[in-house]
Amino acid sequence: MTDNKIYFKFDGKRYGGNKGDTIASALLRNNVKLVGRSFKYHRPRGIYTCGIEEPNALVQIINEHNEPNVRATVKKIYEGMVVKSQNRWPSLKRDFGSVNNLLSPIFSAGFYYKTFMGPKGFWKNLYEPLIRRTAGLGKPPHEFKSKSTHLHHNVDILIIGGGLSGLLAAKKLAGTNKDVLLIERENELGGILKNSNKIKSINDQEALEWLEKTERLLKNSTNIKILKNTTVTTYNYSNHLTAIEDKSVGAQPENKKPELVLHKIRTENTILANGHIERFLSFRNNDLPGVMLAASFEKYIQRYDVVPDNNPIIFTNNSSTFSLLQLLINRNCKPKAYIDVRDVKKIERETLNLLEAHNIPFYPKSEVEGCDGNSEIKKISVRTKKNKIIKIKASMLCVSGGLNPDIHLFTQSKGLVKWDEKILTFKPEKSFQNTITLGSVSGNFIFKNIIEEINKKLSFIDGTNDIDLKIEVNGSEEFNIKEIWETKNNNKSLWSKSFIDLQNDVTTKDLTQAIREGFDRIEHLKRFTTNSMGTDQGKISSINALGIVSKLLRKSVSEVGTTTYRPPYNPVSFSAIAGRSTYEFYDPERKTPIHPWHIKHNAVFEDVGQWKRPWYYKKYENETMNEAVQRESKHVREAAGILDGSTLGKIEIKGKDALEFVNMMYTNSFTKMRPMSAKYALMLGEDGMIKDDGIVCKINDNHFISTTTSGGAANVLSHMEEFAQTEWPNLNVYLNSITEQFATFNISGPKSRMILSRVFNDVDFSNNKFPYMTFKNINYLNYRVRILRASFTGEQGYEIYVPPKYALTLWERIFYYSRDIDLVPYGTETMHLLRAEKGYIIIGQETDGTVTPLDLNLNWMIGKKKKDFIGKRSLTRSDIIKADRKQLVGLVPIDKTYGIEEGQHVIEDKNIPSKIDKPIKMLGQVTSSYFSPTLNHSIAMALIKGGNRKIGSQIYVSTSNMNVIPVEVVKPNFLDPENKRLLS
Amino acid sequence: MLLIKCPYCGERDQSEFTNGGEAHVTRPKNPEQVTDREWAEYVFIRSNPKGIYYERWVHSHGCKKWFNAVRNTSTDEILLTYKIGETPPLIKKFQNILKSPSGEPDVGSGNFTVKKP
Ligand SMILES: [Zn+2]
Repeated sequence: MTDNKIYFKFDGKRYGGNKGDTIASALLRNNVKLVGRSFKYHRPRGIYTCGIEEPNALVQIINEHNEPNVRATVKKIYEGMVVKSQNRWPSLKRDFGSVNNLLSPIFSAGFYYKTFMGPKGFWKNLYEPLIRRTAGLGKPPHEFKSKSTHLHHNVDILIIGGGLSGLLAAKKLAGTNKDVLLIERENELGGILKNSNKIKSINDQEALEWLEKTERLLKNSTNIKILKNTTVTTYNYSNHLTAIEDKSVGAQPENKKPELVLHKIRTENTILANGHIERFLSFRNNDLPGVMLAASFEKYIQRYDVVPDNNPIIFTNNSSTFSLLQLLINRNCKPKAYIDVRDVKKIERETLNLLEAHNIPFYPKSEVEGCDGNSEIKKISVRTKKNKIIKIKASMLCVSGGLNPDIHLFTQSKGLVKWDEKILTFKPEKSFQNTITLGSVSGNFIFKNIIEEINKKLSFIDGTNDIDLKIEVNGSEEFNIKEIWETKNNNKSLWSKSFIDLQNDVTTKDLTQAIREGFDRIEHLKRFTTNSMGTDQGKISSINALGIVSKLLRKSVSEVGTTTYRPPYNPVSFSAIAGRSTYEFYDPERKTPIHPWHIKHNAVFEDVGQWKRPWYYKKYENETMNEAVQRESKHVREAAGILDGSTLGKIEIKGKDALEFVNMMYTNSFTKMRPMSAKYALMLGEDGMIKDDGIVCKINDNHFISTTTSGGAANVLSHMEEFAQTEWPNLNVYLNSITEQFATFNISGPKSRMILSRVFNDVDFSNNKFPYMTFKNINYLNYRVRILRASFTGEQGYEIYVPPKYALTLWERIFYYSRDIDLVPYGTETMHLLRAEKGYIIIGQETDGTVTPLDLNLNWMIGKKKKDFIGKRSLTRSDIIKADRKQLVGLVPIDKTYGIEEGQHVIEDKNIPSKIDKPIKMLGQVTSSYFSPTLNHSIAMALIKGGNRKIGSQIYVSTSNMNVIPVEVVKPNFLDPENKRLLS
Repeated sequence: MLLIKCPYCGERDQSEFTNGGEAHVTRPKNPEQVTDREWAEYVFIRSNPKGIYYERWVHSHGCKKWFNAVRNTSTDEILLTYKIGETPPLIKKFQNILKSPSGEPDVGSGNFTVKKP
């Protein structure tokens, strides 16, 4: 290839574009006008604008994970890019869905709400699949892997927009001691200087020459940082803004590099210099390919050097189209006609002179009635001053319905806007934050006023000098506009359409109908018609809708108000929001020091909070979980087992008032407890509900160590901190999380004492010397180990606390010393089964935040003599002491071959009627259920109403196949109620 | 994202903090002696004003200290922060912020975008 063209594919066909072209400018270069089908009616659509405001030209980038809804007017082409049009089948030219256009008279506002109501089941099976096939925009991306990062900035001044006002503001701040960040959406600075023919000269230099010099000056100043290809999407409270930077503009995204950067900016002052957006007008077939906004047409010529059409028609209601007219004439492209809604007396002299000098057909006080053509404009009909319709052959129509300050970010910042009767639009009125608006975003459309505005509004910044600059413009300096929102329609056909929202296919008729049906509040009307609810958020049309509605309601636009502008300013990829927090980085994984051993011994892991815990160990390849759990648990009861309990939360409580504090935090009493002993303890909320449980070890009155559930460690610590700091700040107590300072092993089973005696052969483990619920600190191979006699299985058992560095060594030693005993490693599932046999509760399984210690018959854990502890008073509230509260019971199936399902309902009635016409009386629910290999039958725990009084009676448990199982209510303690094993 | 001034660390992003609900809710000195209703007031009932609100925050991803703040709930402005134990500022101090009886300021509340004609 010898040319320097960039080749890409659109709908399978190869096109060449220039470097810097957007998909839209390249397609226009190739004279492609039809680029998509509309959302609801599948009408042919073309390129309407030249930027971020585009409602129509949304495409799918096939070679970028099928990225949908990409604006062709923004995305730059690169070699080998594959682009597809959206929302058409089988092809853009012959689209099946355009039958919707024929049916369109019935698709009016609220159509979906009204039509697809019944009968039952029709929505799911018929309506929804049907609508999904024909409505909607792009197809979702696939094989998408996020590659984005986040960056933080703290600056003094943020300038949004690198156009004329933004550049002047930056210039004024250059060399000051302020940290300035200048953000530009396009890949080049310049804004209006690049997009239009409006500025003739600045300080007697060509606009682009001045731009180049200014950019060099800013680049050389040390206090200004410039970000290009970056769009500010969100303006939050406390001057916090987020912006998305596209790192792969005009290039295929690289595999390993971030595609997007989410900038989080905190600033002292924000300067909004983000300009304005031209608005369209509603007329018959104003959506036909070939209709384009006038300033966009001008931008294609100026910025991209593409003339979309050599002889377009210009249709305007304001003075801003002069620059396009002049540009076209300079390019030897004579417009076919110039149609101005204004009276000739109101039209600028410069415009009139130019039209006359070049003999351009001129229609003052006239309007475009509509346009016609099959898939693009062929003819435009004009309603003249004398109310006569004449038809002009043309293939493009440039429309300007006025200029809107881009107030999106300003209103996000919670500033107030005000309707300006002179320029017929909303403009910023009062800032809420430190926000300054400059240039056209502040409603200032007159260039010569910009210098004064900047000097005035930025004078409060230290170290700035007034700037002095001479700006000469092409045409008139004044901005003059006549109010019009929709032109008069001659065609009364039901199929005739005048659009108010191109992306969502909302017509002006829909607005009328919505108001007729009572949706006359603007926020209601928006939702009923879906006006301005597309991905473009009605950037070129939402103000027009307010104009039309205000006329219909005979109210002022101010009274109608606007809908709330909500972030983001334009669509933001989820990838940018996620940043690096994806896949393995989404949530940290916590592993115990024994983790490698677990893997080597075929552990299957379970997530407990962020922890990876062995769930069960596969003894052989095909062993199922059920088989493993039965094997492991039986073995613990017969010999011994070891569980990695390192994930247990551990909190150290120290200080002169530690005892008083622990007494307040837990239900139990710790005062009379002997040093070096331990207690199973309950923690409540002030509402009396169980929050957590654990074992509290007392070293002395000034030093305690408590354990928490694996998932609850952080919450328990912050609960303790809250009370220590806010309720009793006078108590001398210090809290410290030591979860990761100790690995913990739980060894239990009848042979556990024998194993420990072998490992720690100088410690006396006899019942006298080392009774249940006591602990010892010992030295083992020069490191400190704490051994606690405690058990969560009901067997003789010990917990060993060891610094993590030595944990794996000790773990392996324990196995070495018990090689003739058959010590079995067991996981969390077996732990759950073993504790259920003993009726021990699990926080979050037997409790759910509505369960008190009384409900679980744990009254023995409440320090009766204690004057106060957190939640104590709540335990005597009338509701808490009711006899028919749900209470914890055990369930055993009458037919012992049956299994009980966890989570099933417990009911009083034997029969579930085949046709359920009234609620079935429920007693409660099954909280835990297992098959006990030791007892050789199913056991379950349940919370049921008035459970304590039901012990010994027969009730029923539902099953997932609509049956019931008869069960006997028993005390929730199925094995060794005398604790002989535990204390042996 | 709000900028919150931790009285110990200075200004930090909101994401470093956790809100702890209404401030200056006093735990009854002798819980055994209060009625069910009084106890329930302490445990469950919180004021929910539109306007000036005294609330607690904890610098959970920072110094972990609890502190108090005064926030205008209709604009989300944090007007003041102060340490636990310090005397709360009088509500009168913020009265000029509230422009209407409902506590709705004329700008920043989020309820109005357009200035009333
Ligand atoms: Zn702090």
